[in-house]
Amino acid sequence: MADSKYITLVSRDGFEFVVLREAALVSPTIKGMLRSQFIEARTGRCCFAEIDGVILEKVVDYFHYWYRNRDKEEVPDMEIPVELCLELLMAANYLNLEPATGLRDWT
Amino acid sequence: MPPKLNKIRPIRRPNLMNKEASEFEPCWDILRSALTDIHNKDASRLSFENLYRASYKIVLKRKGQLLYERVKAFEEDWFRDHVLPVIAELVSNNLISISLLRAPGASAHERRQTGERFLRGIRSAWEDHNTSMNMVADILMYLERTYVSDTKQPSIFAATIGLFRDHILRNRLGGAAGQLDQSFVIFDLVNAVMLDLINMERDGDIIDRNLLRQITSMLEALYETDDELENAKLYLTVFEPRFLAASQDFYRHECEKLLREGNASIWLRHTQRRLREEEDRCSTSLSVLTTDRIAKVVEQELIVAKLNDFLAMDGSGMKSMIDNDRYEDLSILYQLVSRVDKSKNALKAILQSRVRDLGLEIEQTLKNTDFSTPAAGAETEDATEDKSKAQSLSAAAQQTAAAIKWVDDVLRLKDKFDNLSTRCFNQDLVLQSAVTKSFSEFINMFNRSSEYVSLFIDDSLRRGIKGKSDEDVEIVLQKAIVLLRYLADRDLFERYYQKHLGRRLLGNKSEMHIEKELVRRMRAEMGNHFTSKFEGMFKDIELSKDLSNNYRDHVRNLGDVDTKNIDLGIHVLTTNNWPPDVMGRMAVQEDGGRADCIYPPAIKRLQESFFKYYLKDRSGRVLTWVASAGSADIKCVFPKVPGKESGPLSKERRYELNVSTYGMIVLELFNDLADGESLSFTEIQAKTNIPTQDLIRTLGLLSIPPKSRVLAKEPMSKNVKTTDRFAFNAQFVSKTIKIKVAVISSTSKVEDNEERKETERKNDQTRAHVVDAAIVRIMKQRKELTHTQLTTEVIGQLAGRFKPEISMIKKRIEDLLNREYLERIGGETAAYRYLA
Repeated sequence: MADSKYITLVSRDGFEFVVLREAALVSPTIKGMLRSQFIEARTGRCCFAEIDGVILEKVVDYFHYWYRNRDKEEVPDMEIPVELCLELLMAANYLNLEPATGLRDWT
Repeated sequence: MPPKLNKIRPIRRPNLMNKEASEFEPCWDILRSALTDIHNKDASRLSFENLYRASYKIVLKRKGQLLYERVKAFEEDWFRDHVLPVIAELVSNNLISISLLRAPGASAHERRQTGERFLRGIRSAWEDHNTSMNMVADILMYLERTYVSDTKQPSIFAATIGLFRDHILRNRLGGAAGQLDQSFVIFDLVNAVMLDLINMERDGDIIDRNLLRQITSMLEALYETDDELENAKLYLTVFEPRFLAASQDFYRHECEKLLREGNASIWLRHTQRRLREEEDRCSTSLSVLTTDRIAKVVEQELIVAKLNDFLAMDGSGMKSMIDNDRYEDLSILYQLVSRVDKSKNALKAILQSRVRDLGLEIEQTLKNTDFSTPAAGAETEDATEDKSKAQSLSAAAQQTAAAIKWVDDVLRLKDKFDNLSTRCFNQDLVLQSAVTKSFSEFINMFNRSSEYVSLFIDDSLRRGIKGKSDEDVEIVLQKAIVLLRYLADRDLFERYYQKHLGRRLLGNKSEMHIEKELVRRMRAEMGNHFTSKFEGMFKDIELSKDLSNNYRDHVRNLGDVDTKNIDLGIHVLTTNNWPPDVMGRMAVQEDGGRADCIYPPAIKRLQESFFKYYLKDRSGRVLTWVASAGSADIKCVFPKVPGKESGPLSKERRYELNVSTYGMIVLELFNDLADGESLSFTEIQAKTNIPTQDLIRTLGLLSIPPKSRVLAKEPMSKNVKTTDRFAFNAQFVSKTIKIKVAVISSTSKVEDNEERKETERKNDQTRAHVVDAAIVRIMKQRKELTHTQLTTEVIGQLAGRFKPEISMIKKRIEDLLNREYLERIGGETAAYRYLA
């Protein structure tokens, strides 16, 4: 389980997202979770007690968006609904996503 | 601060603020209990997200500093309560007395056991701490990334990992330290144990390398301060200096031990092994950072410190390595010395002195050969086999052999050192040029080297070349050039070579294409001016060949009856190109007012006929006949001896005699003689006008050796005297039809002292002119020069040809002053001005 290619992210309201592990590792927070000997590392399930499903979905979209485009020069913009912006920023901060890794694109 | 612009500031978020979990203490409680679990290796049931969120909230509440300090305080407590006691237990009296006080009586085994147990304790404490602190740093990631880096404090990881340094390594030893004079910390103990283990390994024990490596990693991960400066790793600041100092001690003792053993060969291998071991140790047990530094220590202590003592060792030192061709020793030696001294002065000095000594030995051997004729006779066949031969001839032949031996020995020596250079010294240029210099030195110290080298070439080309393959010829050519390079007095060599080459060419003794190839190489080596005469000689020979053929055709067309029996092969030689002793003898005669020798009428006619032919195309030229350089084939008939009915004497005998031109002239006289008549030496000389010395030699060859005794001498003796009489030897018998009467001056011999002085005198004369020319050239250009400057410039200009003696330069300057090419100008130092 711990070494699976995919991990599961769980939102506060119980939505589960199966994500490519390598894509999710763009977040240092998730990376820290998975490398220590904590429960997340053992089970491959990361529960986020304060992130809503609708936000987490967008975060997961971003992970894959980042993963797809990580080696490319010309990167298409990612659509962000205006009403989610604030909460997404909060989540990004929580996940330690750095401006350099794409946060700037969001703002 | 541009980066600030990109930072996302936490936004006060109402739903977080309102919850009770956002208070500091509940969050800290969560974290504190988690820290305990982490240290107890019981973290697997904890949720990272939970802990992370707790620290996240604390930071959002702007309580980061408090959290930072709480964590530090927690770790300090943990150390005090849980880690130190374990370590303290390991720091037993026994360990202290063994490791720090070097208590006697402790066996290596015991020391190793105690030491390794202690290090294992340290290692396991470190590993636990390191793992825990990594986990803690992960949990507190948000604190780290926002609060700590903003406030420029040491990272939480640095601060907590540093606790290990402050609370363990720098902990003063507890009760056990009572027996120590000075205060020690645990770190001292760690160092002492590690160094002890390393020394044990050096002495051949097996130790736990992995353990050392892990302790080293620990020291590399810890820094002097929490700032974690790259060059302030504890490994570099504390352990490494001690390690290097201890190693220095160790190797100093080892070097002394090796010195006492007195075997350089062992020393070399040992040092090589030690260097390898230390390098190995750095990569397996310690850090690669130390590789170069420990190598320096070993190099300094084992190589540099006593290098000269080892090199000078009797029986195994460098001298003996060279003499016995111990290639492996020398290779190692070269590698070792190259590490410590790029210019390899020590090796250079010994190599040079060895070359010089061996070179002088060759000369010494040679001297013995020269003076003790019978004993040294073993070297030259002539002397032992044919003792009856005239003493002078044998000595001369022996000397020639000695010359060849000298050259052979020198070449062998050269081969030896070349071999060393390729096999052991990596063809090191510094060493090669040093060796070359020494060769040049001893070769030029030997005052006959120029002559001997030329003689060696002469000997090789004369009889060696025939039947040899191209490769063998190539070797000879190469040897010749190699030797040539060493010679400083090249003008002297040029003189000898000219002489020897002249004889070879006239005597048709060698193969033209090889001669040319050799001269071509000389030109490449020394330049045109050096070989121009030789090339002129080749040209003369070639032109002469054509000339002889054309003349032959010319005579055939004329159908000249008178000369049809005499076939003329002529060499027309340009005076300047040929050695004076081929050409110069004539000059002496002319000076002395003596006429040319008298040729028989038949020859006279031939000469005139040729001269006429020669002048047809080249009017105005003068031909001088050089009888001393030519030879002739004569058919002679010995009639049946009356009264003899059987045996060879009963028949008429026809022989072909190959004699020198003088020989021919003399023999012609006897054609006109009636049976039983004889001629006295003075009569012969009067009729031929051959110089006395040459005549003695010519008559000697015709009347003394049994193989060519066509003249009977009265009285029969071994020497020709001016009072002797000569007659036709009708009894002459030979087994072969063709008889070669050794042509005078055909073989090249070492000059005797008289001749040598003469050659040197002539050479000095030439040199005087060359020096004159150089002085004038320089002064013409510079107008005014001091004496010293002028001398230096002259030596510089002539370096390629010879090394002029200072006294000679001085004398030439005096001479030029007298002849008013130069004038003195006043001043404190002697100076000259050029007079146009």
